[in-house]
Amino acid sequence: MEEQDQMQSSIEVEELEEQQQREGKRLEEENVVRFLDSLDSYVTLLDSLSSTLRQGWLELASARQSMGASRINGALLDLKFHSAATSLQVTHHDDEILNQPHFTLCKWASSKNGYGDEKLRENKLQTNSDGPQLRHRSQFAEKIPETKGAPLIVDDQVQKERTKSLSMFGTLVSPKLRAAQLSFETALETLVEIANVRLTMLSTSDQVRKELEGTEG
Amino acid sequence: MAGRAQIPNKSSALIAMIADEDTVTGFLLAGVGNVDLRRKTNYLIVDSKTTVKAIEDAFKEFTTKEDIAIVLISQYVANMIRFLVDSYNKPVPAILEIPSKDHPYDPAHDSVLSRVKYLFSAESVASGRR
Repeated sequence: MEEQDQMQSSIEVEELEEQQQREGKRLEEENVVRFLDSLDSYVTLLDSLSSTLRQGWLELASARQSMGASRINGALLDLKFHSAATSLQVTHHDDEILNQPHFTLCKWASSKNGYGDEKLRENKLQTNSDGPQLRHRSQFAEKIPETKGAPLIVDDQVQKERTKSLSMFGTLVSPKLRAAQLSFETALETLVEIANVRLTMLSTSDQVRKELEGTEG
Repeated sequence: MAGRAQIPNKSSALIAMIADEDTVTGFLLAGVGNVDLRRKTNYLIVDSKTTVKAIEDAFKEFTTKEDIAIVLISQYVANMIRFLVDSYNKPVPAILEIPSKDHPYDPAHDSVLSRVKYLFSAESVASGRR
């Protein structure tokens, strides 16, 4: 009877060990898949960035041709004190699972108004891999009142900020310069996505490396 | 309160740039330019007269400032200070190498891809199979 009990418990222990090994293997494979996904996203986004930047440079060159080289050059850049209208929000999570920072682009944020001036773009790629973190909506987006006039106010403010940025090259600017501005805004959005994917890629590659070293040892 | 979600710690930050004039101008049009009270900017325009020391100093400055979260650097400029860029390993600020007008992006020189390419080497694959 005792022997049967001992056999039963050793079988249970073996089954538990097998289950743990299967679970460990599954986690390793998940890390590898996450790493490969992030690497693929990184390369794809860089390709997209290259074409967006090319378009922006071409539009800038066209604007320079129509407005004159003296009207679009580095000497005209505003060196008076001013804060960046487009900035980043860096979110740090303190728990063990989401232990890497996350970047969110805040386009044309105005320090004067408390609402409605910010256009926040979330990283859609991160939405697929990091669940709850990316369902978080910006606190500023939540403050926008749900009236018909509010989106128009936001657009007006954004247009004012864009015009203010263009004004360093004069009051009347070429449409190509406006187009270049939009291209570089798109490039910024892509760059923030790249920054988030880069963090995922580096953290998953570290995990895969540790697993490989554990296998070798 | 039981089961309360962690409140994330948020902070606002800037994007710094070390690139050629057209790239910097374009991103300044997008509103990322910042000039502080001491007239220090969050960008460095690199041209033929810019010294390697100036680029190194700007890189060190931008990567140590607490209010900068991303540093954009043209890849051909990063190649001039490759040792410095490759030895940088903090998550924030993130160093992103970008193409420039005259120098297309080359994945072989990207510091991030260089860090992970060992995972695709024949040795690492073979050792994982043993």
